[in-house]
Amino acid sequence: MDHRQEDQFEYQLKSALHRQEPPNGFTVRVLARLEPARPEPWPQPWLHLPSLRWALACALGIAVFAGGWMFQQERRRAEGEAARQQVMLALRITGAKMQLAEARVRHLSER
Amino acid sequence: MALSTTAEGPTRTSDFAELVEAHQAMVFSLAYHFLHDRTAAEEIAQDVFLELHLHVNELESSEHLISWLRRVALNRCIDEGRRRKRRREAQIEELPEPIAPAANVDQWTHERLRRLVATLPEHMRMVIVLRYQEDLDPEDIAAALHIPVNTVKSQLQRALQMLREKAGAVKRT
Repeated sequence: MDHRQEDQFEYQLKSALHRQEPPNGFTVRVLARLEPARPEPWPQPWLHLPSLRWALACALGIAVFAGGWMFQQERRRAEGEAARQQVMLALRITGAKMQLAEARVRHLSER
Repeated sequence: MALSTTAEGPTRTSDFAELVEAHQAMVFSLAYHFLHDRTAAEEIAQDVFLELHLHVNELESSEHLISWLRRVALNRCIDEGRRRKRRREAQIEELPEPIAPAANVDQWTHERLRRLVATLPEHMRMVIVLRYQEDLDPEDIAAALHIPVNTVKSQLQRALQMLREKAGAVKRT
């Protein structure tokens, strides 16, 4: 192989190994991979303590249970009040009718 | 882009994006010409820039940045090449030769040469890629790879000899 052929081979090698751009969007993909490495503002670091997480979960459970219990109590109290009102109304009607009957009886006996 | 813009640290994404855009072709091509695999080359190039993001404050000049990028890219290529060998993935020599298109013979010749480069032993491949992609002198290659200049020169000669023989063998078949 003479010098001219050698030069030609090296020239072809240089052309073959020229720099190539990566596929489109390369920079965006690199920057996207940087994102998860940044510290997140939330959740707060103290929330990572397992004992605190358990305490928060327990407090939440107790609050839900107490809320349910109080709701039941309130409903029962309202139902009782409604029943009492109905009884009072019935008594008032009965009392009025008794008074009416008594007045009629008195009227007949006077005659 | 001068590295002085990053002297305050890689806090500004736009500065870092400029650095990536300025050097992505070099890093991607080093990996592509070493492995002859565009997907793996992109993955390696991304990893190199992620590592750069962590170390950009330690780099003192543009020249330092370029030599750092070359060194990290080549180290990652060597690691990937060794991993592939261990996994016994199909070697490039075992793949069929590209079919010569009638229209673009130059393109076909270049593709064939790139495949032949990828079959060289790893140190010769590094020397060839730095010489013909990056256009570095043997002295610069020696400095980049931390090996004697004479070793670079002998590896270059042997690598060229091997490539010529392989190219000749392919032509004859």
